[in-house]
Amino acid sequence: MSKRYNVLGMILVAVLALAACVAAPPPAEAPTADEPMEEAPADMSGKVVIPAGGTIRIGGSFALTGPIPDPGKDIQYGAEIAIDDLNAMGGFEGFMFELVGEDGACDGTQGTNVGNKFAADDSIVAVSGGTCSGETFGLMPILQEARIPFVSPSATNPDITSADCDVCNRVALSDALQGATDANFVLNELGLSKFAVVHDNSDYGKGLAEIFQNHLMAVGGEVSSFEGVQVGDTDFRAMLAKVGADGPEGIFFAGYSTEAGLIAQQMTETPGLEGSVFMSVDGAYTQQYLDAAGPAAEGTYVSFLAGSDSEEMNAEFDAKYMDKYGVAAGDLGPFHGQSYDSVKLIAAAIMEVAEVGDDGSLVIDREALISAIRSVGPIEGLTGSIKCDAMGECGAGGVQIFLVGDGEFSQVSGFGME
Amino acid sequence: MAGRSTSAQPLQLDWATVQKYAIRAFGFTILAIVLWRVITVGLAEGYPASFWISQALNGLVLGGVYALVALGYTLVYGILFMINFAHGEVMMIGGIAGFFALQFAQARGWMEGPWLVVVIALLSIMLIGMAASVLIGVTLERLAYRPLRQAPRLVPLISAIGASLFLQYSVLLIFGVSPHSYRKPELISGGLRLGDVFIPYTGAIIFFTSILLMLALYFIIQRTKLGRAMRAVAEDRATASLMGVDVNAVIVLTFMLGSALAGAAGVMLGFHNTVVKFNSGFIPGLKAFTAAVLGGIGNIPGAMFGALLLGLIEALGPSALGIPTEYKDVIAFTLLVLILIFRPSGLFGEVLSEKKA
Repeated sequence: MSKRYNVLGMILVAVLALAACVAAPPPAEAPTADEPMEEAPADMSGKVVIPAGGTIRIGGSFALTGPIPDPGKDIQYGAEIAIDDLNAMGGFEGFMFELVGEDGACDGTQGTNVGNKFAADDSIVAVSGGTCSGETFGLMPILQEARIPFVSPSATNPDITSADCDVCNRVALSDALQGATDANFVLNELGLSKFAVVHDNSDYGKGLAEIFQNHLMAVGGEVSSFEGVQVGDTDFRAMLAKVGADGPEGIFFAGYSTEAGLIAQQMTETPGLEGSVFMSVDGAYTQQYLDAAGPAAEGTYVSFLAGSDSEEMNAEFDAKYMDKYGVAAGDLGPFHGQSYDSVKLIAAAIMEVAEVGDDGSLVIDREALISAIRSVGPIEGLTGSIKCDAMGECGAGGVQIFLVGDGEFSQVSGFGME
Repeated sequence: MAGRSTSAQPLQLDWATVQKYAIRAFGFTILAIVLWRVITVGLAEGYPASFWISQALNGLVLGGVYALVALGYTLVYGILFMINFAHGEVMMIGGIAGFFALQFAQARGWMEGPWLVVVIALLSIMLIGMAASVLIGVTLERLAYRPLRQAPRLVPLISAIGASLFLQYSVLLIFGVSPHSYRKPELISGGLRLGDVFIPYTGAIIFFTSILLMLALYFIIQRTKLGRAMRAVAEDRATASLMGVDVNAVIVLTFMLGSALAGAAGVMLGFHNTVVKFNSGFIPGLKAFTAAVLGGIGNIPGAMFGALLLGLIEALGPSALGIPTEYKDVIAFTLLVLILIFRPSGLFGEVLSEKKA
């Protein structure tokens, strides 16, 4: 009997180990974990020195695997085109720019791994990314310690920027704005006051759901239930049956595309929810959402944090994108413009502080670069005029709300329509 | 330990007995807490009966899927005494193959044709999914498990975990990381509405198909020559081989049967939840393993019953306990731990002989 206990115990341990493996992708390069504290050589501490003929290396953390691989790829493409454009203009003082892309996997653990990789690499000047809020929370403390400034194109959780973090910047707008706008929209424009709020337990989704919930209750609405799901779940019927028992007029889901699409689809089959409105957020403003929801996407609402686009710049960008990758900009995801602008902003700050030394090498002072990112500009980007404030909020634009009809998003309210 | 208890004084409790009663008392305490929670919180919510029926139906559908996968675990365990941890991935491969078969059928317009065409096309898609799973299952057996058959028991287990990761990430590299969306044909979209209870057609199909497949499996095992050979190998591999049973062939056929069921589950789950991707077999695989342990691993009716029970517990549990539905996986895996502690042989399992264990 005791032998049998052993075997089953062993199996249990194996199961748990396997669960851990899959929950958190294996660390990329474990040994680098203890190196981030180390500074560059003594005389050049706090400076990046690029020898003549070298490249200015900008790190990139993109969610290439995980729940939103297509938007992650789109963001990487936006950054690559920005680098191409910078180099086409001759780089800076003969130094070319180089993007060092890593897979942040939209996940905090992987964000930490990517952060450690960049921190251990003395030649990384700044970072564009991460894609998701959770991933960026993983990057943040490591880059802060290593004094590497980052500009995220798409991490929207309000806590990404704070007075305590001088390396943290983003081009995307904060979810504080999106959550409040969405709550006002459902209450005032749709006239619905009783909502069920569902999130995907990611830093992004849960943060946004709480903002929506608080704001909806503050302006006189009612939250009938507040439920969480897991990123990667595919069967939401039990959760929806429970939510439906309270008879909400609508469901607000804060999370990513696939889960949003499946919830929109499965709620049409749930008694008590057939007539309810479904609304989701920028994480679901993708083709992947429309694919996952199928016909159930019709009549659902999705909000997005849009930039104030300049048309001719975007047309030029879209042509380059199509030319280089063979897909139309926007087919994979919505944040390529923000990504392009974040790289452009980083480059503008580098050009501000970099100096060519006597031996022909390029010297970039890390502290000077950190403050330059917040003082440079405004630069004219794809998503408007980009200039950071003292907190590191650099984006332009506002919240737009879209209604899905005939398999396409069409704007019904918000920024650009007032 | 037996020697010590016989030499002990009649009044003195020996350690094993104390331990046994302590574990039992602990078990009853947990049971009492759960019951108290259900009565004071779950039932106090005042959900209508239709709500509980809906949730129970959701649970039965889930259970049907788990059962098909759990049978694969149990069949292989019954014969080889190893846990094939890559079995969830075998199911996922079925789902992926089904997706491409569906794409093919859709491109030719078979999904919009008369109902007979659609039914035949759907059955062929399922057969293609099953065939792909069988292929992968047999390859796994040949490459990852057979060379290790004489090795200590931990070795094939580790090989299985490696195979699981290998299959997941191969699918990721070959078919991409984005989820593949099944498009349900009109015929099986929607469902039956009975009052406040909604039964999706795909759910009903899963449940009845899984029952049908389980009956077929039971028939194969109890009534055919192959089944007799399988039972003989499970009983005693060496003796069966002396009696003229081709042990290798029986093992391959066992993998084929288990994989076919998993492939069917993968395709049906694809139609039901409409999304498959490289890791969509992992959690259902673990759940099915839990179900197999719950029913008593190695025991075929046990796996079926354990799977349906697990599905029901997962669907009804969060509402009954008054906790958020996001904890459904916690409930399932807590159950696994409790079963391993209190009844390692499962609900239906006989006490296995030392040789098997």
